[in-house]
Amino acid sequence: MLKITPEELKLVGQYIHDISGIFLDQSKAYLFETRLGAIAEENGCQNYREFYNKAKRDGTKRIERQIVDAISTNETLFFRDKAPFDLLKHKLLPELIDARSPASPRLKTNIKIWSAAASTGQELYSVAIIIKELVPDLSSYSFKLLGTDISDNAVSQASYGKFNKFEIERGLPRNQLQKYFTAFGDSWKIKDEIRAMVNFRKLNLMLPFSALGKFDIIFCRNVAIYFTMVDRKKLFNKIADSLADDGFLLIGSTESLTGVCPRFVPKRHLRSLFYQKK
Amino acid sequence: MQNLTILIVDDDPVIRRLLEQRLIKANYEVIVAKDGYEATRSFDQQHIDVVLTDLMMPGDLGGIDVLEIAKGYNSAIEVIVITAHSSVDSAVEAMKKGACDYLEKPINFDELFLRLEKISNMLSLFRNASDLRQAMDVTEEAAGRTIQQLEIHSSKLQMILDNVENILRSDDITCEERVEKALIRITENS
Repeated sequence: MLKITPEELKLVGQYIHDISGIFLDQSKAYLFETRLGAIAEENGCQNYREFYNKAKRDGTKRIERQIVDAISTNETLFFRDKAPFDLLKHKLLPELIDARSPASPRLKTNIKIWSAAASTGQELYSVAIIIKELVPDLSSYSFKLLGTDISDNAVSQASYGKFNKFEIERGLPRNQLQKYFTAFGDSWKIKDEIRAMVNFRKLNLMLPFSALGKFDIIFCRNVAIYFTMVDRKKLFNKIADSLADDGFLLIGSTESLTGVCPRFVPKRHLRSLFYQKK
Repeated sequence: MQNLTILIVDDDPVIRRLLEQRLIKANYEVIVAKDGYEATRSFDQQHIDVVLTDLMMPGDLGGIDVLEIAKGYNSAIEVIVITAHSSVDSAVEAMKKGACDYLEKPINFDELFLRLEKISNMLSLFRNASDLRQAMDVTEEAAGRTIQQLEIHSSKLQMILDNVENILRSDDITCEERVEKALIRITENS
């Protein structure tokens, strides 16, 4: 494997931060080597400085996309941590449905949900499955479910909705697997009724995203842990702008907003924590 | 004892017996079924790691059906199909549907043992990975609980601080009154 020197680590680390916001310090040398080594060699580079120069000069941004795909890929599961999904089903969605029900029965209940670091889509599909189970007849509702991720590969896999047995076997109960997926050789494909509920697109959370509009629920789990404190503060401040006044924010179970964004206040429901704007 | 439980499904009693004996001799745990129906009952009765099924069997349930039933029970079950040389196309079809491998008749046992060994190694790796993941989940859950408690606690403290700050900044009362009120607010919550 191509070894990285401390100088190269600094150079490439800064570059990755610039293009993705992901901050990898000196202790993550192994990540550079395991995830970027092969790509560097594939692009005919003898070392990481050469790789960096080539990526910077590449007008098509092909290498940049390869780097982002490789570095941003992280484990994601269906129903990762059961607690937030129970919270969604038993508290957040029923409350929102009540609050958003229109006066006239001819109008639809509008609810917008955003999975801000959607990866390959498991989180958002899990949300869609919960909605489908909670509201079997969606005709008087307009649910807009958006998943965004910085990785092109992740977004296209999420859009395709096909998962191999390793991606599917943890987290997803058998009855839901059989109800909402179709076997596709050794893989499983999400059924059209669930696929049609969601949309995925590429987004770098470091850039402005107010154009996405306001959301009622935002999932931003286990992504800010890769950002510096300065970037985290900026991110959650923008998220506060994008959340409806009575909306809900969910972050990872081991993450904290203390000292990150004073605009949010944590609230507990059973075993789960969620945030609302002050 | 090898760490695999293998279900043999074959309508031919001679082949069934031969496979059973060879696999038992190689220390595998073996269950046999003479058709798809018996095979289906076996899935209900015990945990199975590998299914070794003939592709062509008389009756309603053929090898492909056994494959689909096995995968329906548990997608982690590995299925090897056995096929006559003339029906390799159906074996390929079976692999598209999730079989991990196929063997041609007459069965080459060295080849079979090699494949079983591969499956066994892979399963051990999965089990190790799954143990590690479980350990990670338990740790993450415990850490999550602590962090969430701290989060709620620090949020309450922050509210008191904001409150005290407001009291100290209020200009409708004297300095002494402000300090006294602030101290009361702090002691109320300590």
